[in-house]
Amino acid sequence: MKEKRTVSEEVKANIKHYNKMKKLIKDALKEGPKTIPEIAKATELPAHEATYYVMSMRKYGDVVTGEIDDMDEYFYYHLNQKN
Amino acid sequence: MENEVLSYDALVIGGGIAGEETALNLAKMDYKVLLVEKELSIGGKMILLSKVFPTLDCAACITTPKVSETARHPNITIFTGSEVKGVEKKGERNFEARILRQPRYVKEDACTGCQECEPVCPVVVKDQYQFNLVGRKAVFVPFSIANPRIAAIDIENCSLCGACERACPADAIDFSQEPEEKTYQFKSVVVATGYKLFDPIKMPRYGYGRYKNIITSMQMERELAPTRPFNTILRPGDGKMPDNLAYVLCTGSRDHTVGNPICSQVCCMYSIKQAQLLMGALPMADVTIYYLHIRSFGKGFNEFYETAKGMGVEFVKGKIGKISEKENGNLVLRYDDIETGQVKEVEHDMVVLSVGILANDEIGQVFKTQKLEFDDYRYVKQIDELKRPAMTNIDGVFVAGAASGPMDIPDSILSAGSASSEAASYLALTE
Repeated sequence: MKEKRTVSEEVKANIKHYNKMKKLIKDALKEGPKTIPEIAKATELPAHEATYYVMSMRKYGDVVTGEIDDMDEYFYYHLNQKN
Repeated sequence: MENEVLSYDALVIGGGIAGEETALNLAKMDYKVLLVEKELSIGGKMILLSKVFPTLDCAACITTPKVSETARHPNITIFTGSEVKGVEKKGERNFEARILRQPRYVKEDACTGCQECEPVCPVVVKDQYQFNLVGRKAVFVPFSIANPRIAAIDIENCSLCGACERACPADAIDFSQEPEEKTYQFKSVVVATGYKLFDPIKMPRYGYGRYKNIITSMQMERELAPTRPFNTILRPGDGKMPDNLAYVLCTGSRDHTVGNPICSQVCCMYSIKQAQLLMGALPMADVTIYYLHIRSFGKGFNEFYETAKGMGVEFVKGKIGKISEKENGNLVLRYDDIETGQVKEVEHDMVVLSVGILANDEIGQVFKTQKLEFDDYRYVKQIDELKRPAMTNIDGVFVAGAASGPMDIPDSILSAGSASSEAASYLALTE
């Protein structure tokens, strides 16, 4: 396949970007569970991007959902200790 | 491919609920059917819904037995990830169709759907089956109840790293697969290509795409489904659990300015359904539906509407002019209150646009020798809507489901019954 097809720069950039986001979020969560606005603040990501990446990481088992905050507004997310 | 059948009694284009019903009806009469679906799974839009109105039955629970029956019927052959590129009528009960099958890069007979390939794939792109609310890998099983439940590689986004090949316990990854276009013979054709959803990006005054806490009704369907993208119902803008939601009905339907002046038939009822489900999922939440008219015309629909009112869903007869966003991500809806004649503004923390349905007219270019006719709204024209609703202008080509106009699930099934009867009558003339 590699002889017939080359991987586009866009695909390579996308992988790099996702890995960077994943590392940023993992680093932020190493300090303890955080809500999405807290993750966004710690990583300096826009909140909607933080939502997208946290939910994608949750889907693939890197992150798990914890308790909801005292105001019943935001869930806490933490690193999956099994990984 | 060895022993490949190149001749069938019927070609059914589209594997949604209408296509499945048509194919099954014909197959049960012992006709050989080829069902062609462009997506990676059959099931159409229904398989992605949360529940159905007005019974609140689980959509997946209702549709998967039919999906399964279609997939397992010995008289039905299914091509997923495939497109009909051209249909030529060569004579009576003699159609020739060119069909392009895109490779999955996964051996269909080897893949067990175990998803061992997914965690090792380094690529994450937006998941089209979750309407972009979450990511998916470049190698992926489309969704958990997909049929066939086998992986596919999105080759445009694949890094060709080979990690999936190494992880697959069934040795099912096959990068040597290539697109395959072949010509098949049929005696009849049924168009069951369904509909498209209105893209609200075409209405900039609503701010969809710009304001992250405005979603479409189909995105809300996914949030409400058991196989949801998030852990519960959340605002995509910041992960907050909403407690004051608004529905904007007639987004992209009954609206000349977006080129769709007709009613989509289903938006009122699916919005009322979602409002009821939200009241269950978020007991403290307020849900307001902004409407022009509530069209609850079917059996049990008005009772369903009254139930929603009884549950506390607020109905406001008002036309939304503009939506703007506050710093905290809340949305301000500016609307014309039709009851009082006043222009009002109200704040909500999440907005759902009840998007209309549009004709899927790309099928027109497929018919080469005789043009398939469309009505004024680009749906397949029914030449005798009252007496023979499945008849098109081409003898031997029939239409089923929402390809002929906006309709709900029971009406699509009814329409498929009509199409399969007409096709069977047409086929019987050869026997």
